[in-house]
Amino acid sequence: MTHTSKSLWLDYVILGLSIFLIFCLLFDSYIELPVILAWLGRWHPVVLHFPIVLLLIAVFLGLTGKTVPRVLLLAGVLSALVTAISGFFLGKEALVKGDLLYWHQWLGGGVALLASLWYALYGTRQGQGIYVKGIQVGLLIFIGLTGHYGGMVTHGEDFLALPADRKKNEIPENPNIYEHLVAVILDEHCVSCHNPNKQKGELLMNNYADLIKGGESGKTIVFGAPEKSEMIRRLHLPTEDEEHMPPDGKKPLNENEIKVLERWIALGASDTLRLNHVANTEPLVGLVKEMRAPDPMEKWLDLPQVADSTLKNLSSDYLTIERIAGNSNALSIDMYMPPEYDSSVITNLQRVANNIVELDLSAIPLGDEEMAVIGSFTNLEWLEIDKTPISDKQMENLASLKKLRLLKVFESSITDKSIPVLKNLTSLKNLYIWETGISASTLDELQRQRPGLSIENGFDKDISAFFTAADSIPKKEKE
Amino acid sequence: MENDKSKNENPLKVNRRHFFSQLSVGIGSLALGSLLIPDLFKGGTDQLAERPLGLPHFAPKAKRIIYLFQAGAPSQLETFDYKPTLRKRMGEDLPASIRNGQRLTGMTANQDKFPLMPPAVDFRQHGQSGTWISDFFPHIAKIADDITVVRSMHTEAINHDPAITFFQTGSQISGRPSMGSWMSYGLGSENKNLPSFVVLTSRGKGNSQGLYSKLWSSGFLDSKHQGVLLRSGKDPVLYLNDPDGISRSDKRHLLNEVSSLNKLHHVETGDDEIESRIAQYEMAYRMQMSVPDVMDISKEPESIIKLYGEDCQVPGTYAANALQARRLAENGVRFIQLYHQGWDQHGNLPNEMAGQAKDVDQASAALVMDLKQRGMLEDTLVIWGGEFGRGNYCQGKFDPANYGRDHHPRAFSIWMAGGGIKPGLNYGQTDEFGYNVVENPVHINDFHATLMHAMGLDHEQLTYKYQGRRFRLTDVAGNVINDLLA
Repeated sequence: MTHTSKSLWLDYVILGLSIFLIFCLLFDSYIELPVILAWLGRWHPVVLHFPIVLLLIAVFLGLTGKTVPRVLLLAGVLSALVTAISGFFLGKEALVKGDLLYWHQWLGGGVALLASLWYALYGTRQGQGIYVKGIQVGLLIFIGLTGHYGGMVTHGEDFLALPADRKKNEIPENPNIYEHLVAVILDEHCVSCHNPNKQKGELLMNNYADLIKGGESGKTIVFGAPEKSEMIRRLHLPTEDEEHMPPDGKKPLNENEIKVLERWIALGASDTLRLNHVANTEPLVGLVKEMRAPDPMEKWLDLPQVADSTLKNLSSDYLTIERIAGNSNALSIDMYMPPEYDSSVITNLQRVANNIVELDLSAIPLGDEEMAVIGSFTNLEWLEIDKTPISDKQMENLASLKKLRLLKVFESSITDKSIPVLKNLTSLKNLYIWETGISASTLDELQRQRPGLSIENGFDKDISAFFTAADSIPKKEKE
Repeated sequence: MENDKSKNENPLKVNRRHFFSQLSVGIGSLALGSLLIPDLFKGGTDQLAERPLGLPHFAPKAKRIIYLFQAGAPSQLETFDYKPTLRKRMGEDLPASIRNGQRLTGMTANQDKFPLMPPAVDFRQHGQSGTWISDFFPHIAKIADDITVVRSMHTEAINHDPAITFFQTGSQISGRPSMGSWMSYGLGSENKNLPSFVVLTSRGKGNSQGLYSKLWSSGFLDSKHQGVLLRSGKDPVLYLNDPDGISRSDKRHLLNEVSSLNKLHHVETGDDEIESRIAQYEMAYRMQMSVPDVMDISKEPESIIKLYGEDCQVPGTYAANALQARRLAENGVRFIQLYHQGWDQHGNLPNEMAGQAKDVDQASAALVMDLKQRGMLEDTLVIWGGEFGRGNYCQGKFDPANYGRDHHPRAFSIWMAGGGIKPGLNYGQTDEFGYNVVENPVHINDFHATLMHAMGLDHEQLTYKYQGRRFRLTDVAGNVINDLLA
């Protein structure tokens, strides 16, 4: 080594730190840390950024054949050693080191030691050769892997997974309350800290046994008594409270999620309980139903692209076209009677036939052409053709609307002949069909055949009689 | 490029700061952006004008709101919050532990005693939901399973004007845009021939407080989002009709000329309000046709007239306005705001409230039924309520047949129906005195956040930059009450 005496003492520092690091790594389990050193460990997340940047620059210069300034390498090596040692201190806070932490620790130590080795070779003859290139490539790989494992330790194992991979598992027909609901909620909100790698508060929440066992503050869960359970108490604390969980900066649980946890504990916090074991009046039943409801936007993701300019061309002062939300390709269209009506306004909509999910043509004088075009809007879920002169024949066009959920045809002259078409609209949930030529008995029959269909056939007779009768507000009797 | 979804208050007046930030960041990223996305500069500004904010944020449950505002603050204790304890402890002083330091208005602050006063009306449970509703509202009782009563509303304001301003704009201090203006700004118009925010007023015989047009002002938002007051009678919109002797084609001609002059002026000054003005002239031209059409109830069948009550044929009544509200909703008006004045019962409450209730009970219920029959309750949200509640103690002389109640901000009741709200729900609870909320409180900010959510808007995302900061309807607070949403 050919150094000036000026920086010789720095070489000794590096040597000393390297030896200390090796000692730490080898005798890990025999070491008890004084409090002050444990505190130094807390600086790990701050200092770790220095070696990453400094060493990567040095490696980059080295690999591209440029001169690596000594001071750069020196700073890189020193910061790497400090980071590795502080990381080791921080790691001592975990009770049991999980796989992630284990790899992070050894890889991080590897980075520091490789960098020290490079520094030792710096300026020597070997320092120009293939060894150094090897060290540089090794550093590149080690830094990448260390950072990767470190990231997973801090942010949870699925932090780097693609968003699609993280999509929530669908809740099965008869879910196990712990496995399919509680564990899913805990995974999303709690396990990133309460796992074998971090063990915050000495509490593990990644499996049932450890969750029941509890942590530093004792039992997490009091069977049958959510209000006495530590976990629930902390969820309900005001967010500014130190003890509130999840802590600042982590995504809080929504009310439904908290309720699921509460009900599960109230029902005995068992890991075998299934939804069909509980009464229908149990709030969990409703909560599960809510959680199952898919994001309405998802079903429209596959619709063909439609440009804003197309929408602009098709719309007018009397025809409003809106995207259901944001940049969705699902369209909602409202039409109002223009001074001069021309069927082409509607037939032109064929250009976006597959995009239309809601269509309001109430009180428009629809004819054969328009109704034929409407029949081609196969993604239609909501159709208003009330107060239009449509015929039974034209109604047949609707047979192709297999996704139709809501249909308004009140105040029209359709008759019993339209019933077969209506009966076969399998997705139909709401039908508004008062004041048509259809007889009451036919509608009753339709209702029998399609019990899930809500048929609105005008006001309830008793209620409208009450409304029609003169008002009488009961006066308070004298006491 | 422009990630900031809100607009600048004056985009063309570039100041020194804008200029430098444009120079450093703007030009660089423009160049980079156009390299990456070749079409970046091809899109016309017209597209932006069509969908300025890319809203709603998510699929809406409600497309429009009809707000039946009961101005003056109806007492929760004689409407929807049944408190038998008040009868048991009638005349006893309001416990200090319950009042808990609540400030009072000057009208009762100097009373020696605060004797508890029971309601002068009976309550009954109605519908499958078992909702408690007072006998003042026999018609609303019939739709108990269609409505959701929230008994845990609370506010900070104790006087009418700040309280009603708070409800309308999210702030007790006037000057912010009204709720309807925010919706119009966020969602635009469903029907380009009518304003997206319409106001109708009526007045009962009860003690009234003033209503001012500031309540439906667009504040710092573009004036096209301003609420338009529709008056009863021959001229629903003042100065909308052409003077005698002017034909529609003359008017068209005139508008074309005025518009070209205005466009010149716009090029010179870059003031956005000029474009607004041009658009408003055009809309007014179309409204000359659409408004008389919407306002004409002569084609409504007998059954509908009976449903709303005979009053609905008398222009200017609450019943007429309620029917009008349905017609406006059918025609795609986003936000229809009714105000019925006369709910400020500081005295003579039993009599006055009976009258006020008679004004609104049947028509409010009829509106919900009418919307339901037309499938409009699926996407129209109806709200009924006042600006605060009323105290549980007697104001003035203690007489169960003729008493008054002072303002009370800590707990009051409203109801909602349709538009993504769970039906038949009873939400929130007050203590046995009906004085404090003890379960599921809903602050005005929460209420606004929830309404916006139903309309597909994220209340934290819909902002407008003005005077150097981004404003929201919910300002810096508000949580969506998910339990209310279907």
